[in-house]
Amino acid sequence: MPRRELLLEDADTRDLTKLAGYEAIGGYASLRKALDMERQAVLAELLDANVRGRGGAGFPMGRKASFLPHPDDTPKPIYLVANADESEPGTFKDREILLRVPHLFVEGVVIAAYTIGSGHAFIYLRGEYLAEFEVVTAALEEARAAGYLGKNVLGSGWDLTVVVHRGAGAYICGEETGLLESLEGRRGQPRTKPPFPAISGLYASPTLINNVETLATVPKILELGGKKYARIGVENSAGTRVFSLSGNVVNGGNYELELGTTLRELIDEIGGGIPDGRELKAIIPGGSSVPVLTAAEVDTPLDFDSMAQAGTMLGSGAVIVIDDRCCMVQLGLRVAQFYMHESCGKCTPCREGTRWMVQLLRKIEEGEATQGELDVLLNVCDRILGNCLCPLGDAAAMPVASYVAKFRDEFQRHIDEGACPFGGESSLAGVLAPVDQHDAHLRSQIEVPGIRAERESLTEAHG
Amino acid sequence: MVRVTIDGQEVLAPKGQGLVETAASVGIEIPVFCYEPRLGPPVGACRMCLCEVEGLPKLQAACTLTATDGLVLRTARTSEQAAGGQSAILEFILLNHPLDCPDCDKGGECPLQDLTFRFGPGSTRMQFPKRTFDKPIPISPLIALDRERCILCYRCTRFSESVSEDGQLVAANRGAQSIIATFEDEPYRAHFSGNVLELCPVGALTSTTYRFRARPWEIQNVPTVCGLCPVGCNVWATTREGKVARILSRNHPEVHEGWLCDKGRFAYDHLRAEDRLRTPLVRVRRRGFEEASHEAALDAAEAGLRAAGSSVVVAFSGGETVEQATALARIVREGLGSDAALLPDDWDAALDAFRAPLSAIRDADVCLILGDDPVVERAPVVDLWLRAARRAEAEVIAVNPAGDVQAAPGSAAQVCADLREGKKVPTELRETAKSLKSAKRVALVWSEDDPTGGRHVGALANELHENGRAEVAVYVLPRTPNGRGVATAWYTVGEGRSDPPGEGEIGALVVSGDEAASDPRVADLAARASFVLTTAMFQSELTAWSHVVLPGTSYLEREGTYVNLEGRPQRLRRAVVPFGPDELEWLAQLAERFGVAIDPWAAPTAAEQADLPPADEFAWSRPDPQAPPGKPAGPGLELVRIGALFSGAAVERIPQLQFQRPAAEVELAHEDASTRGIAPGEAVVVTSNGTSRELRAGLNRKLRVGVVRIPAEHAKDFGDRVQVSRLSTGESR
Ligand SMILES: Cc1cc2nc3c(=O)[nH]c(=O)nc-3n(C[C@H](O)[C@H](O)[C@H](O)COP(=O)(O)O)c2cc1C
Ligand code: SF4
Ligand code: FES
Repeated sequence: MPRRELLLEDADTRDLTKLAGYEAIGGYASLRKALDMERQAVLAELLDANVRGRGGAGFPMGRKASFLPHPDDTPKPIYLVANADESEPGTFKDREILLRVPHLFVEGVVIAAYTIGSGHAFIYLRGEYLAEFEVVTAALEEARAAGYLGKNVLGSGWDLTVVVHRGAGAYICGEETGLLESLEGRRGQPRTKPPFPAISGLYASPTLINNVETLATVPKILELGGKKYARIGVENSAGTRVFSLSGNVVNGGNYELELGTTLRELIDEIGGGIPDGRELKAIIPGGSSVPVLTAAEVDTPLDFDSMAQAGTMLGSGAVIVIDDRCCMVQLGLRVAQFYMHESCGKCTPCREGTRWMVQLLRKIEEGEATQGELDVLLNVCDRILGNCLCPLGDAAAMPVASYVAKFRDEFQRHIDEGACPFGGESSLAGVLAPVDQHDAHLRSQIEVPGIRAERESLTEAHG
Repeated sequence: MVRVTIDGQEVLAPKGQGLVETAASVGIEIPVFCYEPRLGPPVGACRMCLCEVEGLPKLQAACTLTATDGLVLRTARTSEQAAGGQSAILEFILLNHPLDCPDCDKGGECPLQDLTFRFGPGSTRMQFPKRTFDKPIPISPLIALDRERCILCYRCTRFSESVSEDGQLVAANRGAQSIIATFEDEPYRAHFSGNVLELCPVGALTSTTYRFRARPWEIQNVPTVCGLCPVGCNVWATTREGKVARILSRNHPEVHEGWLCDKGRFAYDHLRAEDRLRTPLVRVRRRGFEEASHEAALDAAEAGLRAAGSSVVVAFSGGETVEQATALARIVREGLGSDAALLPDDWDAALDAFRAPLSAIRDADVCLILGDDPVVERAPVVDLWLRAARRAEAEVIAVNPAGDVQAAPGSAAQVCADLREGKKVPTELRETAKSLKSAKRVALVWSEDDPTGGRHVGALANELHENGRAEVAVYVLPRTPNGRGVATAWYTVGEGRSDPPGEGEIGALVVSGDEAASDPRVADLAARASFVLTTAMFQSELTAWSHVVLPGTSYLEREGTYVNLEGRPQRLRRAVVPFGPDELEWLAQLAERFGVAIDPWAAPTAAEQADLPPADEFAWSRPDPQAPPGKPAGPGLELVRIGALFSGAAVERIPQLQFQRPAAEVELAHEDASTRGIAPGEAVVVTSNGTSRELRAGLNRKLRVGVVRIPAEHAKDFGDRVQVSRLSTGESR
C-alpha cells in the first residue's frame, strides 16, 4: 500500500506551525464549514467516517460523541478533553502532530467541541512535553486572536474556552478517568466505570475524551466528507495513522500510513530494515502493552481486525522492532518494571501483581528461578488479567504472557542453564528506554520516611 | 422492584440497590474490603467482590453494581471464574501482608483474617522478602499506622476526604510504594479522626489508647450511649476486667450513621483519673475538708438543707440522667418546698412540632445555621450531617460572625425575627431569605448560648411552614448532653413551675455535677449561699466553696435515660460499676430523710416518667423570652467565646487528647489585624477587665470586622470587649 499523508500533508515542505502557513493550505476551512452545519450534521460526518480512536482502545469516535446528551437535555456543562498525555513506551506520534501541525489539532478540538455543544475544552498535556506546550499555546494564541476560538467563534455566537493543563509525570493520567481525576486536581487514579465519561466525566458532567491524533483527524474528515474518508484504509479501519517506528530499525521515526499497510512494508521498505545485518526476531505492533508478534508474523497488516486476529492490538500505533540480540526475559523484565513503576496503586491485582512479576522475572533473568516459578509467573499474569480496575494491569500481564508463550524456549534456557544465555550483554540496546536511566530516576526520588527500605529493594531489583 | 438472579436464586430488590446488599438479603455473602456505602460512591479498588455477570466476559466488581431487572449474578459459590478471581485477589492482598496476627490488635476481629479463613488460600507461593516500611508511624498521638499491614482499601482517606472533609489523611506515592500519610507528617488533628480506626479492615490503623491492652476474646461490649454531647451517639463500651478499655460506635443510622467524634471515642479513661473523688468530703471548721463516711456525709447534707428551710437553689449540669434529675427535682420541690433552679438548657414546647431525626438534615434543600457557637464544637456529628447535606447539593448557610453571612455576635434572635418578618430584610440577609422562600425542605439549626432561642427559631419555623409551605426540621443544640432531658424532668415534676435563683442570700445551694461546678454563674450563687452541697467527679474551684462533696459518677457508670437534641430518649447502660453508690442511690437515701420516696433503680423511675403526660401538653409558665441584652458598645473588639469540644474535665485528663485542645489563639478579622499591624501567627496581648493574656493571632477571612473569637478556656475573666495589641510594641488600640 502506498504512503498516504493526511494529517502530516505538507508539513515537510511548509511551516504549518504558524497560522499564516496553515491558512495558506486551507487551514480552518473545515471549521467554517462545520459552523455552517447543524451539530447533528457534523456528528453524522464523524459517524460516516467511522474513525476509530487513536489513543489505544480504538473505539469509534463518532459513536462515543453520540453517547453524550444533547446540550439542551442536560443542566450541566459539557466538556471536551484532548488526551495529550502520550506516555506509552514506544509512542511518540502525538508530539509529532503537536509540534508540526498544531493548528490542525486545534482546529480539530474546536470542531469537536462545537459538535458536542461544549463551551470548555481542556488539553491534558504530558508534563515532560515542554516544547510541545510552547508550540501549542502559541498556536492557541494565534487562533484566539484570529477568532477561531474564544468569545463568539467566527461570529457564530458560540463561545469556546480552551485550557492547556500540564500533567505531572504519570503514565496512568493518560487513562481517561485517571486523567479526569488529575484534571480535577486530585490524585491521578482511574475511576470505576460506569458511569462513563460521556455521561459523568469531568466535574461529574458529560465529557468527550479523545486522543490528539483522533482530534487532528476531524478537520480532514470534514474536508473530505465522512463517506470519502471511510474509503481510505481497509474495512473497519478507516483512514491513516501516524505510526511511531522504533527499536532495532535503520530509519526510526513517525510515518503516516494508510491503515492496512503491512508491518513488513513499514519495517523494511520505509524503515530500511534491521541494522548491522541482524535478524528480525519479534515485533511489538502497538506500544509496550500489547502482545508480541514473531518475525514470522511480519506480513500482518496494520489494521484493527488483522491485529486482533493475530492475537494482539494496534494500540497506540507504536511499532517496536526487536532483533536477535534481544533477550525476551530482559524485555519482559523491562516492560514489567515500567508497569510496576506506573501502577497507580489503587487496585490490588495490578499493585501487587506487577511487583511480583518483576521479582519473578528478575529471578529468571538471573538464572536462579525454578521450573515452578515460571509457572507461577504465567499464573500471576493470568490472575492479573481481567481482574483490574483499569487496563493498566492487563497491559503488564498481556505482553509478558505473550513473551513466554512465543519464546518459551528462551525462558526455559534461563532456568536450565542457570544464567542468561545472552551473557549479560545489554541486549535491550535501542529497544525502550535503558533501565539505568529509569534507575537514576528512581534514585532521585525525594526521601519519604518509611519507604526507604522499599525503594532500596526496588532499585536493587532493577540494577 | 426489580428481579435479580443471584447464584440461581431469584431475588426481588429495590431498583438501584447495591448488589452486595441484595445478595446479603438472601444470605449470600459477597466479600468486600473497600466497599463502605457510608463513604460515598463505591471505588472498586480492592477487587475482593469480583463476581460473574451473565453477558459480560470479564469479572465485575459487584460492589460497583446495582440491582437492575434481569441481571444474573454468580458469586464465587457458583462460578468457577469468580472463585478464581476471588482467590487471586486474596493471594495478592496477602502477598506483602506481614501476617503478624498473633501480635496484631485486630486479630480476632479482623475482616482480612475472617475472609482469609473463609475464602483464602491455605499457603503462600510468595518466595521473596516482603515489602517493609518503618513502623508503627504515629500519625497522631491517638493513632498508630502500620504500613506493612495496610491493604490500601482507601477507606481512611475517603473518610478524611469525603465524610469529615478534613482532607488530612491522603495516599502518597504510587503503585506498590503507595502509603497512607498525612501531609508533611503533620499530626492528624481533626474532630473525627478516630473513625478511621474502625473503618480500617486490617490492623494498619490502631488506637494508641487501646494498642496491646486487650484481646477480642477477653472483652465484653456493653451497648450504651455517649454522654459527652447532646447528639447522643450510640456506642459500645468495650470493657476488660471491669474497666472501660475503648469506645466503639454502634451505628444508629438516624442519629450518627456510626461516626463518633474523638472526644466521645477517647475521653473514657477519665473514669480512672488519679484525682477522681472517691470518698465523700465534709467541711470541718478551720481544718478544711475531711473524708467522711457516706452516712456521715448524708447527715451533714440533711442538716445543711434543713437549716436552709425553703431557701434552696439547685444547679443542674445537664449531664444527669432523667431519673437523677427527677429525683433531685422531687427532693427540692416536694421535700424542701423550693422551685428555684438553674438549668443549663431550656426547651420550648413549640419546637416539638418540628422534631425530626438528625438524618433528615441530609435531605434538606436549605440548612440555616444560627448562632455564634461553631456547630462542630457543640454537637460534632451535626456538622457531619450538614456536610452530607452540602454534598447532596443543599445550600448550607451559616449566620454568625464568621459565617457565610457575617452577622453581629449574639444577633441570632434578631436574625430570626428579620427573616420571619419578610419585609425589609437587611441587605446581608436578602439572599438567605430568598433561598428560604423557595426551599421545600428546611433544616434550622440553633447553636447559641441563649436559652430563649427555641422561641425565636420556633417562630421562624412556623412562618416557613405556615406561609412558605415548607417542611421544616428544627435542631436546637443544647449546651449539655442531657440538658433537654433535665429541663423536661424539672418542669414535669413541678408541673411547669420554675423560679429563677433570685438575688441576695441563699440558704442552700445544691450543685449537681462537674459542669455545674465549673459554671461561673454557679460560682456566683455559691458566694451567696450559707450551705453548698456538691456532687462531682473531680475537685474544682467550686468544691472549695462547698460544705459537703459527694463523689459523682460518669455516664459510663450509670443506668438511666438521656434525651438527645432530637428529643429522642436513649438508654444508658452501666458499662462498669462505680466504686461507690451512684447519684440515684444517694439521692434516694437523702429523699427518704425528707419524706420523699424514690426508687434507687433507674428502670422503675423511668417507668414512672413514662406515665406522665408528654411534655408538650403542659402550658409551661416560664420567664419571658427577653431579647438577649444588647452588649454594651465600647472601645476595643467584641469577644465571642468558643466553647471548644476538646475541653472540660474529661478531656483534660486524657494525655493523648491534649494535642486536640483548642490553641491559645485569638481569631481576628483581616482588617482588624492589619490596622493593628498584626501578622498571622504573631504573639499578641489581649486585655479585658483588667486581665491580660498572651495569645497567638489567627487571621480569619470570614470573620466580621470588630469581632474576635477566643476559645472559652483562654478567655477566662475577660469581659465582653477586649483590646488586642502586638506583643512587641505593647501599644493598644
Ligand atoms: C494505562 C493507560 C494509559 C493510557 N494512556 C493514553 C495516552 O497517553 N494517550 C491517549 O490518547 N490515550 C491513552 N489511553 C487511552 C485512553 O484511556 C482513552 O481510551 C483515549 O484517550 C480515548 O481517545 P481515543 O478514543 O481518541 O483513542 C490510555 C489508557 C490506559 C489504560
Ligand atoms: S490496574 Fe493498576 S493503574 Fe489501573 S487502577 Fe488498578 S492499580 Fe491503578
Ligand atoms: S469491595 Fe468491591 S472492589 Fe473492593
